[in-house]
Amino acid sequence: MILTLTNYIMLSAVLFAIGIFGVITRRNAIGILMSAELLLNAVNINMVAVSKYITPTEMQGQIFTIFIITVAAAESVLGLAIILAIYRKRMKIHADEMDLMKY
Amino acid sequence: MTETVIFYAFSAVILLSAFLMVTSKNIFHSALYLALTLFGVAGIYVLLNAYFIAGIQVLIYIGAIVVLTIFVINLTKEIIGEPVPLVNKNILPALITAGLAGTLIILALMKTKCLAIAAPVDHPINDTATIGKLLLGNYMVAFELASVLLLAALIGAIVIVAKDKEEAK
Repeated sequence: MILTLTNYIMLSAVLFAIGIFGVITRRNAIGILMSAELLLNAVNINMVAVSKYITPTEMQGQIFTIFIITVAAAESVLGLAIILAIYRKRMKIHADEMDLMKY
Repeated sequence: MTETVIFYAFSAVILLSAFLMVTSKNIFHSALYLALTLFGVAGIYVLLNAYFIAGIQVLIYIGAIVVLTIFVINLTKEIIGEPVPLVNKNILPALITAGLAGTLIILALMKTKCLAIAAPVDHPINDTATIGKLLLGNYMVAFELASVLLLAALIGAIVIVAKDKEEAK
């Protein structure tokens, strides 16, 4: 039994589904951010796998993955900063209680 | 054959710890499971001959993002060790959404026969030096933009978190 591209894409599909489940069910805003990291990792696995199997000489997938990781780091830092600021003002970080701008 | 065994071992680690991450009651345990998941993904990168990506996955994701997340969890003390329900009432919609998304991709994969290809022989140019040359050659503009983005994120985080002057007095 040999590994094919399908194995890798299937792994990333299941990881993506778990990430979506986490983003929707988590109450804690930090938990939502962590689940979003799962989504980005699922995409990265796809990128690197396709880069190896389809275009092994050009490495566009790996370059793109580096940029995705960079943007993910920036996103994570800003998200955590916003959560910290909200916690300081309102002493809570549950996403369903952050409804100041809801209506 | 060894490759297949390693792939399934890493996949099991990734999926199990990801599942525990989204269902764990304690957010601190959740962060630790996230680190384990990211480590498994780094293993998958090594399996795909992407050694540089595996390195920065460990350095940036596990070394920086997870540690930062744990810092913020510790700073927002309210939740530590407290049995607050971490899961909201959206479990059924979430199951439907995640299930549909996952099944859709997997069904589409099953129908696509041309993706079931074996790996091509590894090319000798597939190494870190090539990535460096590409980053500072073809993808130079994107590389510089990424550095501007990181600077903006750094300043933004400081501005958001820093206390106001009146507040500090």
